[in-house]
Amino acid sequence: MSESNSDNESVIQHKAWFAAWPIARTAMHLVFRRKLFWVLFALALLSFLFMFGAIYLLATLRQQYPQVEQFITGMLKDLDGSGTTFLNFMVAQGTVTMILLAFAGSVLAGNDHSRGGLIFYLSRRINVVHYAAGKLLAIGLIISLTTTLPALVLFIEYGLLGDTGTYFGEKYPIFFGILGYGALLSLAVGLLLFALVSWMPKPVPLVMLWGGLFVFLPILSRILTFAMRKPGMRRRDAMEESPWRLLDFWNDLYIVGNKFFGVDKPLFTGAAVVVCAVCIISALAIVVRLRQLQHQS
Amino acid sequence: MTIKGTTTTAARPLVEVGNVSKWFGPLMALNDISLEIGPGITGLIGPNGAGKTTLLKLLTGQSKPSLGNVQICGHDAWLSKAKAHVGYCPYGDATWDELSGRRLVQVTAGLHGFTGDEAKRRTEAVLETVGMVDRANRPVHTYSKGMRQRIKLGQALIHDPDLLVLDEPLNGVDPVGREELNELFQRLANAGKAVLISSHILNEMDELANHILFVCRGKLLASGSLETIREVLDDYPLKVRVSCGSPRQVAPQLMALESVKSVSVEPPEDLFLEVQNPNRFYAEFGEFATADDIQLSRLKATDTSAEAVFDYLMERAARPE
Repeated sequence: MSESNSDNESVIQHKAWFAAWPIARTAMHLVFRRKLFWVLFALALLSFLFMFGAIYLLATLRQQYPQVEQFITGMLKDLDGSGTTFLNFMVAQGTVTMILLAFAGSVLAGNDHSRGGLIFYLSRRINVVHYAAGKLLAIGLIISLTTTLPALVLFIEYGLLGDTGTYFGEKYPIFFGILGYGALLSLAVGLLLFALVSWMPKPVPLVMLWGGLFVFLPILSRILTFAMRKPGMRRRDAMEESPWRLLDFWNDLYIVGNKFFGVDKPLFTGAAVVVCAVCIISALAIVVRLRQLQHQS
Repeated sequence: MTIKGTTTTAARPLVEVGNVSKWFGPLMALNDISLEIGPGITGLIGPNGAGKTTLLKLLTGQSKPSLGNVQICGHDAWLSKAKAHVGYCPYGDATWDELSGRRLVQVTAGLHGFTGDEAKRRTEAVLETVGMVDRANRPVHTYSKGMRQRIKLGQALIHDPDLLVLDEPLNGVDPVGREELNELFQRLANAGKAVLISSHILNEMDELANHILFVCRGKLLASGSLETIREVLDDYPLKVRVSCGSPRQVAPQLMALESVKSVSVEPPEDLFLEVQNPNRFYAEFGEFATADDIQLSRLKATDTSAEAVFDYLMERAARPE
């Protein structure tokens, strides 16, 4: 779509979908202005820097003391450069990412809903779908900043510090695995957060609910798993196979995420159903709430 | 019954609202409203809860009518083609207090699909128009009410809309800022834009708007210029104050005019007249003033203000038909 300015020059005017970017950029700008975000982001980076240093150290040992390197990699399976290395890193980033999102949620979208900012967007040539896409993009980018992007950097580091050609040649599916799992996290957690923020825009109730979902439910899931396990069943097996584990949404994402790295986990079907159900219910909740706000504003 | 003034626009109106009704559940917010808006300043007047905001939401495409249609430049108002012709300046200050004025305007450029240099060019142009270039780098929360209104106006103008919809733009603005904003609205209207200003402060509209829409309880009570609407209200005699040197002497002479219904003397030098047919009165009064050797210092209609007209309209609407 284009129009002409006063000098009759052709002016590029992008389609409405392009509005998602300024919406996302503004939301992120508002989050980046807060010191708390940088503190939490620094915490997330600590774990990344630890992994980065460990991979570097292993690469150095591999060249200078191969036996020591083999011993350490044998001990630390998480650092063997397989898909699990990066998947586990992304899962480990979950705690700090969830805390970050709990505090960023209100800034990302809540203020629009509690202070009537929605009309600023919807009186333009965009509709609620474009608006929601922009907000989801912002949430997705923040999730990617603490999970997908560092994991990709670690993957590249692992390749560059070792036998580069062979590693990238053999392990390239990991790259897509990281992207796939990152996209799953961004979509599922983004939808859930946006749905909660839409209905609960104030920071304190949002943090409490978010904490309930990502702290209380996992604890409850573990308690029920151990309490309800069959006699004689090992705790480790119960943690892998008990349907009560499905109450832990982050774990569900982990189980589904394994598929991106070619690993089949027990409870995959159940976890996939939970993730899909959460996404669908969240999307419906967002649509209903946005329509309601549209009428109220 | 809707009163329609005689003022019309020669060109096709930018906004056409045809038999629009809007319900929110059992609540009827708008009841069979039809109106047209053309270039110039149009005032949308009504008390709180009259349906002004609902009408604005329909005009800006944020909501669809339950019945009827709203067309902006020939397109249904809720389509993006129509929204491209509309600039909206909402009542609230919304959520972007932390952004600088310049950034806020630039973001809205992005929402309209302008990027890069074009977005910057448009941003600087509208900041210039609203007189905020030198203060645009400050965060919005540090702005005065008037400066906020200017920035909100700037973001509404970013895509050079044909219709500018302003919801209570002068609310809380000091007299100097009000004067400056009114001049700005006038400039935009002179540039061929349709400027729709919603307000519940009636005397704001007296001099500003050249076309007025009176709404109350979801109905359009009247539309047209203030003068023409007042003329149509023939069941309410026009009240005129005449100041002269010898009111007691002039009063019986004025009473003799056919269009004058009553005269009362207000010492020391004022006369209050109730006039049945304003046009005829002005003609008769002109002859009277020139024919007789009378020292008149002032002639002023006292109930042609938006407030007075609105009171009459409300009174009329409350009467059983």
